[in-house]
Amino acid sequence: MKPVAFDYAPAETLAGALAALAAPGAKPLSGGQSLAPTMNLRLVRPATLVDVKPLPGLRDALETPTGLRLGAAITHAEIEDGAVPDVTCGFLAHVARGIAYRAVRNRGTIGGSLCHADPAADWPSCMAALNATMIVAGQGGERRIPAREWMRAPFVTALAAGEILLAVEIPRLPPGSRWGYAKINRKVGEFAKALGVALPGVLLAGAIEGPPALLGSLDDLPPGLDAQHRQLAAVAVTRAAAMRDAA
Amino acid sequence: MSRQGVGAPVLRKEDGRFLRGRGRYVGDIAFPGMREVAFLRSPVAHGIIRAITKPQGYEAQVFTWADLEGVQPIRAPSSLPGFRKSDQYPLAHGRVRQVGEPIAMVMAATRAEAEDIAEMIGLDIEELPAATDMLAHRAGPPIHENWPDNVVLHTLVDDDISDVAAPIVVRRQLRTARQHMAPMEGRGVVVRWDERMEQLEMHSSSQMVHVTKTGLAECLGLPEAAVRIIAPDVGGGFGYKGILLQEEVAMGWLARRLGGTALRWIEDRREALSAQANCREHHYDIAVHADHDGRILAIDCEAHVDSGAYSAYPFSACLEAAQVASILPGPYVVPRYRCRTWSVATNKAPILPYRGVARTGVCYALETTLDAVARQAGISPVELRLRNLPGPEAMPYINITNKIFDSGDYPEALRRAADAVDAAGFPARQAAARAEGRLIGLGFAVFCEQGAHGTSVYHGWGIPFVPGAEAAQVRLTPDGGLEVRVGVQNHGQGMETTLAQVAHELLGMPLDRIRIIHGDTALTPYSTGTWGSRSAVMAGGAVGDACALLRERVLAIGAHLLQAEHVEYRDGAIHAGAASVPVAEIARIFHRAPQQLPPEMQTQSLEVTLGHKTVRDTGTFSYAAHAVEAEVDAATGQVKLRRYLIVEDGGVLLNPLVADGQVLGGAAQGIGTALYEEMPFDTAGQPLASTFVDYLLPGAGEVPDIEILHMETPSPISRFGQKGIGESGAIGPPAAIVNAINDAIAHLGREVTDIPATPERILAALA
Amino acid sequence: MITLTVNGEARRLDTPARTHLADALRDGCGLTGTHIGCEQGVCGACTVLVDGKPARSCLLYAHEAAGKTVTTIEGLDDDAVAEALRAAFSRHHALQCGYCTPGMMVTARDIVLRLGAVDEERIREELAGNLCRCTGYRGIVRAIAEVAANRPVLPAAAPRREAPAVAAPVLATVAPAVELPNRIEHQEALAVPLEAAWAILSDPARIAACLPGAALTRHEGAVLEGTFTASLGPISASFAGVGEWAVGDHAGSVRGRGRDGANAAEGQVEFHLTPAPEGALLNVVLSWRLTGPLAQFSRPALLRGLVAGLAGQFARNLERAARGEAPAKRLSLWALIRAWIFGR
Repeated sequence: MKPVAFDYAPAETLAGALAALAAPGAKPLSGGQSLAPTMNLRLVRPATLVDVKPLPGLRDALETPTGLRLGAAITHAEIEDGAVPDVTCGFLAHVARGIAYRAVRNRGTIGGSLCHADPAADWPSCMAALNATMIVAGQGGERRIPAREWMRAPFVTALAAGEILLAVEIPRLPPGSRWGYAKINRKVGEFAKALGVALPGVLLAGAIEGPPALLGSLDDLPPGLDAQHRQLAAVAVTRAAAMRDAA
Repeated sequence: MSRQGVGAPVLRKEDGRFLRGRGRYVGDIAFPGMREVAFLRSPVAHGIIRAITKPQGYEAQVFTWADLEGVQPIRAPSSLPGFRKSDQYPLAHGRVRQVGEPIAMVMAATRAEAEDIAEMIGLDIEELPAATDMLAHRAGPPIHENWPDNVVLHTLVDDDISDVAAPIVVRRQLRTARQHMAPMEGRGVVVRWDERMEQLEMHSSSQMVHVTKTGLAECLGLPEAAVRIIAPDVGGGFGYKGILLQEEVAMGWLARRLGGTALRWIEDRREALSAQANCREHHYDIAVHADHDGRILAIDCEAHVDSGAYSAYPFSACLEAAQVASILPGPYVVPRYRCRTWSVATNKAPILPYRGVARTGVCYALETTLDAVARQAGISPVELRLRNLPGPEAMPYINITNKIFDSGDYPEALRRAADAVDAAGFPARQAAARAEGRLIGLGFAVFCEQGAHGTSVYHGWGIPFVPGAEAAQVRLTPDGGLEVRVGVQNHGQGMETTLAQVAHELLGMPLDRIRIIHGDTALTPYSTGTWGSRSAVMAGGAVGDACALLRERVLAIGAHLLQAEHVEYRDGAIHAGAASVPVAEIARIFHRAPQQLPPEMQTQSLEVTLGHKTVRDTGTFSYAAHAVEAEVDAATGQVKLRRYLIVEDGGVLLNPLVADGQVLGGAAQGIGTALYEEMPFDTAGQPLASTFVDYLLPGAGEVPDIEILHMETPSPISRFGQKGIGESGAIGPPAAIVNAINDAIAHLGREVTDIPATPERILAALA
Repeated sequence: MITLTVNGEARRLDTPARTHLADALRDGCGLTGTHIGCEQGVCGACTVLVDGKPARSCLLYAHEAAGKTVTTIEGLDDDAVAEALRAAFSRHHALQCGYCTPGMMVTARDIVLRLGAVDEERIREELAGNLCRCTGYRGIVRAIAEVAANRPVLPAAAPRREAPAVAAPVLATVAPAVELPNRIEHQEALAVPLEAAWAILSDPARIAACLPGAALTRHEGAVLEGTFTASLGPISASFAGVGEWAVGDHAGSVRGRGRDGANAAEGQVEFHLTPAPEGALLNVVLSWRLTGPLAQFSRPALLRGLVAGLAGQFARNLERAARGEAPAKRLSLWALIRAWIFGR
């Protein structure tokens, strides 16, 4: 299938992009690796695609005293390859390498993935575990949203209509920090059936039908999960913890 | 054996163009002013069409059945008693009976615009309850108005086995999922009316151009001479392209009407997945009766096959279930046998034979049940099978359903597989793994594959096409090159190489001087096409026979030119003692200087067309033993294949490299059947997977580095001793893999019965 | 009109914004070596190099590639690594029908150049995004390994740490969820008195006001007419249709059907209110069917999350309404959408 007809509008300035996104039927485009398949199926039918990739600053990765400010249009492959500063003792690069396929990672962006907010995706869970902060811009200026309050429901984020995710601020893990990551899926690149993240003092379950869940113990898994899914989530978290503790 | 002839592992002649992106597939073909076609397809599984409203302003670009004047529906009946006929309309007429059934055809300048228009078509369908489960809906309500129920055909091998008193009776109910064949290239058609030739010129991604031509001519009411079908490079078939398409008929009609403007339709992946999950859905209720030593005393089975909504041309809807009855006893010595089968019509895509056809399901049912027998008898699965396989001394062996196993040493194949994976040492390894909390299992499957069977096997089915002799035409060109024309179609099997090797074997010119021409009804002899593991045996035999006759003629000319009585054909030349004349010189003289030859020799054309049949047309029987070591992750339900080994006997291999490729590719598809591939439907008949994210194909990470060991027992009935093995690889994996899974979890008292053995099913079995 | 460099040649293409790069290359440039296998980003047949990096040409609109350098399989004719790979592919019988081959070559070349000498397991991981239906991958993996073996080991080929396969933890028993297809049950506690909740639930207009995405345009007796807008991330569908309304003792049901383009939906919501210590308990059974493209995805796991989200919002709106407050701003979610979107 081919997409419906739409206009393509590459953004040059933030003000211009925000104005363009205010038009009816306008949708932001980043790497397009989630959006284009749904458009090719005509499930998504934008009037205008506002390409935010060219916006100034979205391709910047700045190390700060407290961590890393990662522009939203940084690709998964750039994180995988260590083209951005490492403030997480290799955790982000490890996660990036497990996302979809290399050809997709070359185009797909961290910001696009976060805004898409598929519960099965890696970044929403990892950013919540890292206690990162989203920097978003709207007509009223910039605001900051904690990653742990980002995903409201599957495919729904705290981003308001017309806002653009500019960057994500990732706190630095102490040097030598140990971490573990477990993703349960049947094939490389396939949707995760469950995700487990273990960082120092943090356990998190993702891909659990809704927002990722910080856990004190496995008993904290959301009660609504069916037995199999609950088991897979518990396995993912247990394995992530074991990987962290064995590191 | 010459270096490039039969049996040589020469590299493929066709690789060069593919590796440089210069293959030419149907989607690559374009004509000036060509229009693109999209189809509006049924969104519901079953319903009565109340109205189709063409969008205003686009009436001339939208076509429905009502427009297709003079077109006949597609009919693929069988003359078997009780078979129920169904008409498949190129565009839906009155009712729709599956999601994805074409309802309207739209043409526009681009595909995107055609899809825009298709979206605007008004569709009023009164939905009816859908038949989605072959067991629950066998009795009805019928999906065809004049049928009493949904039984397409019921067959019965009626041996009353009630007198068999067996100490061991193991009964299992097993299910295999509906699959989509998923060649990487979908279907596609480019067609135009050629006014100069007064001919419809259709390029189609097809496995059987001649059959398509005949069927299309019938549906369109054209003489066959007015239809030419060309299959360019075809991006995989596997049975998916062995059919006359509704789209071909509808587009053929429109192209004829347009009188010159070319049309192109390329099936997209969503169309393919949502409309064409068309194979492999079986249900078995099987009981194996055995004595204490594990010797089979009888097999009793009731099998259902989901035939889908219509009978697809040319293979009728009953073919697969009826085949179940004839092949269920597998490679074994089975004294008593009873089998009932039902072909059941449902509101799903019409069934087509997918690589392995019924054998994959049958092998799964029998082999997993035999493992359960072995567990009950307390003997190893290998030993149980060795006690039931016919030995080499019994060959040719006629089994209980009158299959004639032509040659081979079936027990030896299994022994070699068992030795190669150290089956004897496995219980100790398994125990050690269990002590570490790991579940590993070893599984086997043994089967034989009837291939290249012909007239005597098929005529009883009374289907639209009964395969007969396969013909080849060989032409010695004036420059000493050879053109070989075959009616079969190459879509990955390496025939441009293997058939050239056959010609080289007889005529000696180097492979690069031999050109295989295929896939065009105007250029090749009539043929039922490529299916049923028949091309190496049938087309290979035909090329061999035709080349042998050509060789005689060349020899005669050589003898005349050398003025010798005793001549020899060697190294591309005719020799008489020290004197010789190259074949190329003979070709030149025949075509360009005939005055050097006597008149009777001038009329012996160096262009020979000859048909070939095997010595007996009951088929070659390749056979194989598959051995798998699998690990089951009890926490996630995931299965890892730690080792996969195949012992294969395909008779004399025309090219071992190509034969390996067939076995490996088939096995990868079998792994998909075993573990990954499934088209789920909801109770309303909606297919629930329309992308490769929902319908999982095995990737490089899921298919292990499969090992192959060859045995080469020549077939006594084929031209070079070769056997058909094109489907073999796809038959064994589900059985062998599930046997390995069950071996891993049997000590827990658990078994998997349905495939694919997904994590969900394994966790459910372990829960 | 866009300008880009294709296989070293500057090309000007007049192509609509909706044309993806694969179609632009094939139809606009006549470079048919780039094959289209799914247009869903999964099969990898259309993989080309964009500014030297492999990319799916089906997931990139031609306009996004303006100003960029694109290399297709045809552009690798004289590339030394590609030439070595071609020879190795042929030797190892790494292709049959040839359809996946161009994308496979582009990926293989990237593996060799980016990772250098690399082991089989890593090659298989890297090939996950290129499907082949013919070969079983063995020849492909061996061919790449052979070419890679002649190159230096590069840091990027470092092995990846894996989570250990520890056994499943023992969990407290949870009642199994009902797994009937197209049917979900849900309970929502309401922090308002039973009768106050019933006052709203017995009135379709007030139900609609509380239900995110619903709008009631007509209500005459048992007949309802309205629209339901469902959004799921970027996917949005607006179903317009009719329905019937039935009411009982603290219980009711709405059954309706509607369509949005090629998608049609029919659904029923049955609910009943039961007393609870602090208010009331709303018991909902949602059953539905959906036809058309929206139906044809299988990610059922998402569904419960969606229904829970929808029911939760409905309950909160109902509580507000019972207290005389306005419903919260619409946050539309719709359980009827058998949700699926690519998750990257």
